[in-house]
Amino acid sequence: MDIQDLTSAVDEGIDNGLDWISSNAGGFFDAVRLVLETFYNGIAWLLQAPPFLVIVAVIALLGWRAVSLRFGIAAAVGLVFCALIGLWPETMATLALVIAASVLALLFAIPVGILAGFSPRLNAVLTPILDMIQTLPPYIYLLPAIALLGFGPATALVATVVVAIPPALRLTAHGIRLTPRNFLELGEASGITPGQMFVKIRLPFAMSSIMTGVNQCLMMAFGMVVIAGIVGSGGLGAAIYDAIRTLNIGKSIDAGIAIVILTMILDRITEGAAKDRREAK
Amino acid sequence: MTNTLPDGNSPLIDCRSVWKVFGQRSEAAIKAITERGLGKSEVLKEFSCVVGVADVSLTLNKGEIFCIMGLSGSGKSTLIRLFNRLIEPSLGQIFVCGKDVAKLNAQDLRATRARDIGMVFQNVALLPNRTVLENAAFGLEVQKVEKERRLETAKKALTTVGLADWVNRFPNELSGGMQQRVGLARAIASDPDIILMDEPFSALDPLIRRQLQDEFRELSKTLGKSAIFITHDLDEAIRIGDRIAIMKDGAIIQVGTAEDIILNPADGYVADFVAGISRLHLVKAHSVMHPVAAFTAARPDLDVSRFSRTSPEADVDELIHIFLDGGQDGVAVLDDGAVVGVVTPRSLLQGVKGKEPGEATAF
Repeated sequence: MDIQDLTSAVDEGIDNGLDWISSNAGGFFDAVRLVLETFYNGIAWLLQAPPFLVIVAVIALLGWRAVSLRFGIAAAVGLVFCALIGLWPETMATLALVIAASVLALLFAIPVGILAGFSPRLNAVLTPILDMIQTLPPYIYLLPAIALLGFGPATALVATVVVAIPPALRLTAHGIRLTPRNFLELGEASGITPGQMFVKIRLPFAMSSIMTGVNQCLMMAFGMVVIAGIVGSGGLGAAIYDAIRTLNIGKSIDAGIAIVILTMILDRITEGAAKDRREAK
Repeated sequence: MTNTLPDGNSPLIDCRSVWKVFGQRSEAAIKAITERGLGKSEVLKEFSCVVGVADVSLTLNKGEIFCIMGLSGSGKSTLIRLFNRLIEPSLGQIFVCGKDVAKLNAQDLRATRARDIGMVFQNVALLPNRTVLENAAFGLEVQKVEKERRLETAKKALTTVGLADWVNRFPNELSGGMQQRVGLARAIASDPDIILMDEPFSALDPLIRRQLQDEFRELSKTLGKSAIFITHDLDEAIRIGDRIAIMKDGAIIQVGTAEDIILNPADGYVADFVAGISRLHLVKAHSVMHPVAAFTAARPDLDVSRFSRTSPEADVDELIHIFLDGGQDGVAVLDDGAVVGVVTPRSLLQGVKGKEPGEATAF
């Protein structure tokens, strides 16, 4: 009984804390929300303003350069399919959310990952935190975000960023630690400065691991934006959520197919970019 | 401490009683070494510290190739890294081009490593994402030499090592021997006075290895470079080195020319090493000959003036040829036009076999 009392006291404390934060720092969170939504809207505008064939052509070209001509054509066909089933605006909204979340996640994960690669102590502090983020059910992140930022893409963005950070951070740190000893010695013996050591030796060796991290970050973001349909992310996530609520199975399958197509395109393109670097070695 | 460049006579590297002790209690161990004169095994027992380099003194003279021969674990790789301070010495002083390396600040140390000392590694360490040319230019790039000039210099260096046609390839397209040539080109592109060679040819197959050994020796002599060359292969040390140091358990147990070491091994360990070495090109006439006076006294029946003649530097191989061609009882050794000694068939055989300590030259 005592323990249950204690537990509910703690829960109540957390709830009160969140209430207090949202009522006292409301201005701050409104500003955060405004910045995030502006960022998201900017990217969404870039993807939705041009005629859809222009976007298809650009993505097909990327697919061709990064993977192969065949893949470029397949990507174009897949995207045209998304448009034909009437989900083009939703597909682009989802893509915008994934890109926005990945950019923000990488802006944090890569620099911190680099520091963690150099500092075993920072790494020791980060590892349990990352473990926790990755093992908790991703729904958890929606709740505090919705409490502070309200219903809408900003909440979806924050929750997605949290989920997308760990793989990119881990793989970046791993890449930095991976530098072969003999190359560090070569640098030292050549009279290299610490800055040059990082740019000319550590970073090139870390690059393929970092690119794999970018790829994993995108994949986690994709998984999360669909879940985030529940908090008003818009796009395909919202389409699926609506379909579930109205038990419209056909529509949910359409949206599911669009998600799969988009995920495969981005996965292969970023994986291709990572592989390019490996092959250059 | 002097900062001027050494003149022709002062050594490029002057290493004075240097120790390197690894381990958590290395400072206490060093104190015990200086105060109580502890040896390697006592240090290990008392402080559980490993002595990597024990009281090594050596000099590298200008234009000289100095080989350090030792088996794995003898401390030779540690020693070579003390010269450019990749490893900090625990005790003793090392002067490179007249500068005490231990006293250099970070910037001066970088400058010394970049300009005075080149290094070639056993595992080559060519950056896989760069072309051969960019790899060879790496040292100059670090020194912020402008791109056009550094690529031109690197190309010259690659031409010197015979890789002019391979500049735009990537390292993984090259054979092991070619990769090692790129490593050498990278070291000489910065035009250092000293080249540190850390077992560069050990991983190559024997034929390529011998070819590279000869090329390296010729190259460093033409370019006027001085080199410290680490190897575990005595044949290689003999082929390349002007002087050879034999290292064991962190200490140098003998320094000398190949002939010195072959003819007068300092102890049983060295003697075991040199036992298998062919003496044909190492033992010279001056070390197997009888002084002329002793010879005429012992064999008054023979006329030295009718013998074939040779120089004191003629090796055993040449002497054998002379005997085979002439069928005489002796060969006269001439120095400055005067006969200084006589080689007899028996003294020659003794030279080939290797003289036991204290054994007299046979007539």
